[in-house]
Amino acid sequence: MTDPTVAPVLLIALPIVAAAVVLLAGLRWPRSGWPISLVALVLEGGLAAWLASAVFGDSGRLVHELGAYGRPGENEFAVGIELVADALSATMVGLIALIALSVLAVTRRAGPRGVPFYAAYLMLIGGLMGVSLTGDVFNLFVFLEITGIATYTLVASNRSAPAAVAALKYLIVGTTGASLYLLGVGYLLMATGTLNMADLAATLAGEPSFVDGPMYTDPLVLASFAFIATGLFVKAAIFPLHTWQPGAYDEAPDGVTVAISALVSTIGAYAFLRISLSVFTPAFFEATPIVATVIVTVASVSVVAGSALAVMQSRIKRTFAYSSVSQFGLVVLATGIAVHPDAGASAAEAALIGAVIHLVGHAVVKGGLFTAAMGLALDSDARTIDDLAGLGRQSPVLSAAMALLGLTLVGVPPAVGFLGKWYIVIGAMNADLWPVAVVILLSTVLTLAYVARLFEQLYFTPAPSGDEAGAEAPADTSDDHAMAADGGNSADDGTEEHLSDPTPGAPFGVVAVAVGAAILAILLGFAGAEFADALEPFVTEVLGQ
Amino acid sequence: MVLESIHPAALVLVAALLAWKLPRTVGHALGIAATLSAAAIAWFAPTGTHYSVQLFGTFDAVLFNVDQFSSLMGLIFGFIGAVAVLYSWASGADRVQTAFALSYVGTSLGAVFAGDWLTLIFFWELMAVTSTLLVWHYGGAAVRAGFRYALLHGIGGSLLLGAIVWHYAEVGSLLFSASTGMEGTVAQVLAAVGIGVNVGFVGLHAWLPDTYPRPHVAASVFLCVFTTKTGVYGMYRAFPDGHLWIAYMGGAMAVFGAFAALLQSDMRRLLSYHIQSQVGYMIAGVGIGSTLAVAGAFGHVFNHILYKSLLFMAVGVVIYRTGEESLDEIGGLGRKMPLTAITFTVAALSIAGFPGFNGFVSKGMVLAEAHHYAKYEALWYLLLIGGVGTFLSFIKLGYFAFVEGSYEGEIRDANLGQSVGMIAVASLCVLLGIYPAALYELLPGGHILSWQTFEASHYAFEVFTTSHILEGLALAAAGLVGFAILRAPLHRIGSVPDVDALYNRVGFYGTRWLVIAITELYALVDRGAVVLADTSMAVARDPEGYVRRVPGSEGVLGEPGERYRPLRSGIGRSILLVVLVVTVVLVAVLSG
Repeated sequence: MTDPTVAPVLLIALPIVAAAVVLLAGLRWPRSGWPISLVALVLEGGLAAWLASAVFGDSGRLVHELGAYGRPGENEFAVGIELVADALSATMVGLIALIALSVLAVTRRAGPRGVPFYAAYLMLIGGLMGVSLTGDVFNLFVFLEITGIATYTLVASNRSAPAAVAALKYLIVGTTGASLYLLGVGYLLMATGTLNMADLAATLAGEPSFVDGPMYTDPLVLASFAFIATGLFVKAAIFPLHTWQPGAYDEAPDGVTVAISALVSTIGAYAFLRISLSVFTPAFFEATPIVATVIVTVASVSVVAGSALAVMQSRIKRTFAYSSVSQFGLVVLATGIAVHPDAGASAAEAALIGAVIHLVGHAVVKGGLFTAAMGLALDSDARTIDDLAGLGRQSPVLSAAMALLGLTLVGVPPAVGFLGKWYIVIGAMNADLWPVAVVILLSTVLTLAYVARLFEQLYFTPAPSGDEAGAEAPADTSDDHAMAADGGNSADDGTEEHLSDPTPGAPFGVVAVAVGAAILAILLGFAGAEFADALEPFVTEVLGQ
Repeated sequence: MVLESIHPAALVLVAALLAWKLPRTVGHALGIAATLSAAAIAWFAPTGTHYSVQLFGTFDAVLFNVDQFSSLMGLIFGFIGAVAVLYSWASGADRVQTAFALSYVGTSLGAVFAGDWLTLIFFWELMAVTSTLLVWHYGGAAVRAGFRYALLHGIGGSLLLGAIVWHYAEVGSLLFSASTGMEGTVAQVLAAVGIGVNVGFVGLHAWLPDTYPRPHVAASVFLCVFTTKTGVYGMYRAFPDGHLWIAYMGGAMAVFGAFAALLQSDMRRLLSYHIQSQVGYMIAGVGIGSTLAVAGAFGHVFNHILYKSLLFMAVGVVIYRTGEESLDEIGGLGRKMPLTAITFTVAALSIAGFPGFNGFVSKGMVLAEAHHYAKYEALWYLLLIGGVGTFLSFIKLGYFAFVEGSYEGEIRDANLGQSVGMIAVASLCVLLGIYPAALYELLPGGHILSWQTFEASHYAFEVFTTSHILEGLALAAAGLVGFAILRAPLHRIGSVPDVDALYNRVGFYGTRWLVIAITELYALVDRGAVVLADTSMAVARDPEGYVRRVPGSEGVLGEPGERYRPLRSGIGRSILLVVLVVTVVLVAVLSG
C-alpha cells in the first residue's frame, strides 16, 4: 500500500465498516463498542496522517476514481464517483480524525456509551469523511444525509422527551435543507449533464465543446446556487435557518454535543465553501455580483443575530449554541468576501485563509467549550450560567479551560480565534467592505458580553449556598461535621449520602480534552503563517492566482 | 599614535567615575590628568581622524570626528576643564560635585567630537542631565533653579531632536558630511529654537542668570563654559552657511545681555548675563557665516572660555573669602586681594575688548566682518552698543567690588591652587591679545599672514590697525563716560525682573490648570466608561429584565419565567423560515 490515492477510500470505508462490526460484535459482547471504536479511530487517525503527509508533501492533489471507470468520451467527463483530496480536504480530514478521538476520550466514562451510540458515532465519522473527500456533488448529498441521520440518532440517544423533540425538529428541518440542496444539484445536472465537481466547474465556465460559453448567468444555474446555498445554510445553522440547532445542542447528551458542535455544522460550512469555490468558482460570482452581496448580507445578519441571541441565553449550552450561529456566519461571511467581485487578489486570499482558520479554530474552541461545560456539569451540576458561580475555586482546571477558550472565542490574541478574525477583517478592509468590519466589531463586543458573564460567575461571584451557610453560623457547621462524622458509621447514611450526591466529578478524559483544546487553541494562534503556507495550493487552485 | 585611539570623552567620563569613589585629592588629580589628556588628544589627533559605527543597524554614526572645529573645542574644553578642576580642589568642592562636573565635561566633549546628529543629540541631552545634577548637588535654592533649568533644556533638546528627525527624513542620513547643515525649513526652525535655548536667545535665556549664580562657586566655573559654547558649536553644525536672522539674534543678545547685566548687583548673575551677551557675538559670527566671521566666532568661543572662566574664578574667590554674593555688601577689596583684583582686571579688559587683550582680537574679527556687508550694517551698530554696555557693566563690577568703599574685617587673597589656575588663564588672555597669531593657529578656515594678520577667503584681517584701536578705545571711553553719569542710579537699583518672572508664572499656573483640566477630563471619560461598562454588564446579566422594560414586550415574551419560549420556533415555523429564505434568495439572485 504505497499509493496514497487509496487513503480517501479507506478513510470513508473504515468507520462505516467498523460501525457494522460494532453492531454485530455487540450482539455477543455488549461492551465491545469502545475498544472497537478506539481501534478504528486510531487507524483512521493514521490514515488521516498518511493522507495529510501525501497531500502536503509531494503528491499535492490526490484523485481516486471509484471503480476506475476513467474519463471516456471527447469531453473526458468522469463517469464514476471521484474522491478528491486537496489541501482543504486534508485539513478537514485531520481535524475530524483528531476530534473523533477526543470525543471518544470524553465519552469513555461520562457517556453516552453502548453499542447503538458507538455504531451511530462511527457512521457519523464515516459521513463526515465522505463529505470532506468526495469530488461529486450528488455523492456529497449522500454523505450529508449519512452525517445527518447519524446525528439525529445521536441527539435522541439519551431517550429523554425534549431530546426526542429536538431530534425530530432537527430531522425535519435538516432534511428540508438537504432536499433544497438536492434540488439545486438536480438543476445543475439539467444544466450541465454532470455531477462531478471538476467537470461542473469546467462546464459552467463554458470549456466543453457542447456549451456555447460561460453559463454563469443561466437562470437554471442561478436558481441552482440559490437552492444549494440555502440548503447548506440550514446545515451550517445560519440565522434564521438555525432554529434546529440550539435545541439539538442543548438537549443532546453532553458527549454528543461535543461531537456535533465541533464537526456537524462545520461540515455544512465546509460544503458551502467547497461548492462555492470549486464548483461555481469565483468567476461565477464575478459574473453575478448580486450573489456575493446576498451571501455577505445573510452572513452579516447571522454574525450579529447569533451573538445577540447568545447574550440573551441563561443556559450554558444554549449560549454556546447561539455563539456557533454567529461563528459560522463569520465563516460564510469570509467565503463571501473571498469570492466578492470587489475583492482584489490579496483581499480574497486573506479572507479565504481566514475562513479556513476560523472553521478549524472554531471546531477546536467550541468542542473544548462544550467539553468544559460538560465537565462542570459533572462536577457541580452546572447547567445555567448562574450555576457557574464560584466554580473557579471548586473546579479550577475546567474553569480555567473554559475561561481561556471563552477569550479565544472573543478573539483575544494570540489565540486562534483572533487569527481567523484578523485575516477576515483584513480581507474585508482590503475589499473596501467597511460595514463588514463594523459587523465583526459589533459581534466581538457581544461575544465579550457573554464571555464576561462566564468570567464574572466563575471567578467573581461567590458560590451561593455553601458560603452562606458558612458565613451564617460557623459553629453550626462544626456541629454538622461532628454529626456527620458520628453518623458516618451507619451504612444507611453512607449509602444515602452517596446516592444523593449528584456530582460524581468529571472524569480524566473530559478534563484532559478541555485542557488540550485550550492549549491547542492557543498554539494554533501562532500558526498563522503555517496555515497560510499549507493552504497555498488550495488558494492558488480556486482563486487562480 | 595611542592617543588617537582614545576618545577624550571616554577618558574624562572614566575619570568622573573614579573621582566619585577615590579620595578627594587623588580624584581631582586624576580629573586634571584626564582633562589635560583630552586637550592633548584634541590638539595632536590629526584632522580627519574618525571612528564610525552603525547604530541600531540602521544609522551610520561617527562617534569620534576630528576636524578644525571639534579640535578647537576639544582643546579649550580640556584645558579649561583642568583649570576648573584645580580651582574646585582649591575651593573645597567635594568628590561628588567634581565627579558630576567631570561627567559634564565628558559629555560636552562627546557632543563636540560627534560626527553625526544622533551622537550629538545623545551627548547633548546627557550634558543637560549632568549639568542639572551639578546644579542640584549644591541643594537649597539651586534645586528649584536646577529644575527650571532641566525643564527648559528638556524642551530645547526635544526641539533639536525633532529637527534631527525631520532632517533625517529629508536627507536620509544623520552624518554631518551628508549635507550642509540642517535640511528642510521645519528642521531649521526647530533646530534654531532648540539650540537657541542652549545659547540663550533673547527670550529663551532666562535659565542662564537664574541657574548659574546659585550653585557652588567652582560649579559656576564649569557651567559658564560648556553648555552655551557647545550650543554655539551646534549652531554652526546646523547652519554652516549662517542665516541673517540668526546673525541679528546674536546682535540682540549682545545688547540685551550687556545692559541686563548692567542692572544686576549679584555678581555671578551679572556675569551670567554677560555670557548671553558674549555668546551673542559668537552667534552673530556664525550667523554671518563667512569664513572670517565663523573663524572669529570660534576664536571668540576660545577666548571667551578663558576670560569668562577667569571672571567666575575671580568673583568666586571673592565669594569664597567674603561669603557675599552681592555688590551692595562688599567694596574696596582691591587693596586686600591684589591678585584677584589684577586677574579680574585682565579678564574684564579681555571681555570688554580692550586693545591688547584677547577679546579685542576675536570680537574685532566679527565686527570687521559685520562691517563688510550692507545687510549687516545694523548688526555692526548693535555689536558696538553691546561693547559699550560691556565696558559699563565691568567698570561697575570692578569699581564697586575692588575700588569704592571698604570691607570690614580680615580677608585673605586667593589661595595657591586658585592663584595658579587664575594666573595661568590670565596669562593666556594677555598672550593671545598681544600675539594674535597664537590664536590664529587654532582657527578654522583661512591662514596666517603675519603675527597679527589672518587671511580668510577674500579679506586679510589685521588686528592692530588705527581704526580698530580707536574703535576699542572709543568704546572704553564711552563706557567710562557713561559710568560717570550713571554711577549713582546704578548703585541704587534693586532687582530687575526678567522674562522668567512672566513665564515662570504662566508656566506654573498654566501647568496647574492643564493638569486640573486633564484630570477632570479623564475623570469624566472614566465615569462614562464605568457607567457604560456597568450598564452593559447589567444588561448582559439579566437581558430578559431589560427586554421586558420595552413597552409591549409582554405579548412576545409571555409570562416571566417562561424564558423566551415564544421566541423559539417550532418545527412548522422553522420550515416556514426555510421556505421564506429560499424564496428571498431565489428572487434576489434571479432578479439581480
